[in-house]
Amino acid sequence: MAEPILITGAGVVSAIGLGKQATLDSLLSNRSGVGKLAYLKTDHKEFPVGEVKFTNAEMRAMLGIPEGTVSTRTSLMGMLALKEALDEARLTQEMLPKVGFISGTTVGGMDMSEQFYLDYIGNEAHKEYISVHDCGSCSEMTADHFGKFAFATTLSTACSSAANAIILGANMIRCGEADIVVVGGSECITKFHLNGFNSLMILDQQPCRPFDATRNGLNLGEGAAYLVLETAESARRRGVEGLAQLSGYGNACDAFHQTASSPDGEGAYRAMKDALDMAGLDATAIDYVNAHGTGTPNNDASESQALKRVFGSVVPPVSSTKPFTGHTTSASGSIEAVFCILALQHGFLPVNLNWSQPIEDGIVPVSQSTEKELTHVLCNAFGFGGNDSSFILSKSVI
Amino acid sequence: MINNKIYVLSAKQISIQNPLSEDWMTTPIEYTEPFVRSIDPNFKEYVSPIEARRMGKILKRALATSKEAIKASQLDVVDAIITGTGFGCIENTEFFLDALCKEGEQLLKPTYFMQSTHNTISSLVAIQMKNHGYNATYAHKGISFDSALQDAWLQLRLGKIDSALVGGHDEMTPSFFTILQKGEVFGKQVTLTGEAAVSVVLGNKADNALCRLSGFKMLYKPTLEDLKANVNLMLHSAGLSEVDAVLTGINGDEACDQAYLEETRALFGEKPILRYKHLFGESFTASGLAFYVGAHCLNAGFIPSQLFVSQQNISVEKPKNILLFNRSDGKDYTITLIEK
Repeated sequence: MAEPILITGAGVVSAIGLGKQATLDSLLSNRSGVGKLAYLKTDHKEFPVGEVKFTNAEMRAMLGIPEGTVSTRTSLMGMLALKEALDEARLTQEMLPKVGFISGTTVGGMDMSEQFYLDYIGNEAHKEYISVHDCGSCSEMTADHFGKFAFATTLSTACSSAANAIILGANMIRCGEADIVVVGGSECITKFHLNGFNSLMILDQQPCRPFDATRNGLNLGEGAAYLVLETAESARRRGVEGLAQLSGYGNACDAFHQTASSPDGEGAYRAMKDALDMAGLDATAIDYVNAHGTGTPNNDASESQALKRVFGSVVPPVSSTKPFTGHTTSASGSIEAVFCILALQHGFLPVNLNWSQPIEDGIVPVSQSTEKELTHVLCNAFGFGGNDSSFILSKSVI
Repeated sequence: MINNKIYVLSAKQISIQNPLSEDWMTTPIEYTEPFVRSIDPNFKEYVSPIEARRMGKILKRALATSKEAIKASQLDVVDAIITGTGFGCIENTEFFLDALCKEGEQLLKPTYFMQSTHNTISSLVAIQMKNHGYNATYAHKGISFDSALQDAWLQLRLGKIDSALVGGHDEMTPSFFTILQKGEVFGKQVTLTGEAAVSVVLGNKADNALCRLSGFKMLYKPTLEDLKANVNLMLHSAGLSEVDAVLTGINGDEACDQAYLEETRALFGEKPILRYKHLFGESFTASGLAFYVGAHCLNAGFIPSQLFVSQQNISVEKPKNILLFNRSDGKDYTITLIEK
């Protein structure tokens, strides 16, 4: 069993609000942020989405960034979430040169590229946005708003990107490379992946219904969340408290198909099993599972099988929170980690909204608001290509 | 317990030099064009023609270098597959983006989208090798490969894995090259832009190794003092007082190269300074080629004269170590120490 790593700060923005308090209120009152498309300019008005309820200009104003500054929606949402995490962990600008930054994203600056691509290939307009197309530049833009971090890198494993940022950050701390690393992810909705997911026919025109027999696809969402990972010794030295601790994590590859999960959920099973082994916990110790649960027929069937293989006949309470936020893709791992931290702190099970009929041979998710004392929770994030990751968050004991 | 005995078991490349070969050490190909695409091997050995038809170049190259690197490592399986790619599968991304912007949102086909994400590469290698181990992808500009290398290095040291296939893959199309030039993404006047496909196998057993990986450090916007402290710490940890040579990524962009070389001299004094991008070209994963070049120089026991920046000092007898000093965009830095 490895030395636990504390989470000493967390920040989030998604369709259900900016900040942990607004997020908690929405989770406890079963208020979904998924609705009619309002911010992205696209022909596909038929799909419900979980948009962050600010324009880019509004976010720039909130952050004190002058209008006309080159920025992407992914980096602006990232800054909103990062601010809350740094403030809570009491990390000031002077301390950042000793703090690492690891972010996850896949679309990066695609929101700008898809607006200006015809200029890029045709004239000189908007060429200042070319250098922020890539993922790494978006991470650096997010980080640079707050000061100079010790190092910066970017995971891009599709929908498990932020979960893998958490894993890398923890491994860096365990190797003694840093005492404090800020990890997470950010991703805005783009026409690029809205159309991509539509071409794969995995978007539902109704609100998504994870683990329901009638489920018919996912709703896209967007948002960002960051966690401050810190050694217990550093937290003690600085006098900051752990909100929760990271007890274990696993990453495995389904190695089955580029855009589909295997029927038996091999990758998901291995990721969860590795996380349990690392935490030194028996499966029965898990009080709640925040499932990947996208609402696609394929994911939920596969994840159900993997959960049954890990937990046997006694599967703990499971829910997918994607009906609240939509699928926030690369950011989902860290956004749902924040939901898990809130559940641990406030003793409740987030509801799997929109569920009514069980899948044959599937799991039955939490469908009623339930108060419950939680000690260990497991969170899943799976990506295209079978990039499956799981991690366990526990009530902080230090 | 941290295990610091990490070895480079193999390193293979497909680039603008002869593919899957170390010909560049004795007979390098020289270019005068600003942008050259890689010289591809015959992919039939690595992927069936039916599968190949649906794959972009970046994927075929990744499969070829991965399979050759694993074969040369003499391992049957690797415990992890980790890839660095600055732009991911940019050719398919362009196809999808082009259709989206020119033809609108109604008739888009999934084929290009399915193979457009960055992690398509690592996933494909895992699917082909039926490998359920750790799998990850990094996309961070000029330190994309270095980030993947760091991930493997951390997990090997922690004992979480015994071996890893680490890749650095970027493709470049003529149209995307034009866009990048307009955005001055690699700088204002880079002499040569290429493509990179590098696969290396790392392990914790010394048998048949090309060299040892003795230190790695990633830094963001460091001061010269930060760099000095980290280089000294790395050398001290390896029991070294100095290095035999320093491999830099200068790329012909004069303003940047000057600052880069000044910094290199301030850190390493009169030690021989090497370069490789004049032979292999610039790309976001060019630093993977630096790792490949350094490993093969140590293994062969000589540094080809064309790598020396100053032609006055072109001899290092049997190099025992090389420090790879990557400075990208003036702010993303990595320091990698490899030893015979």
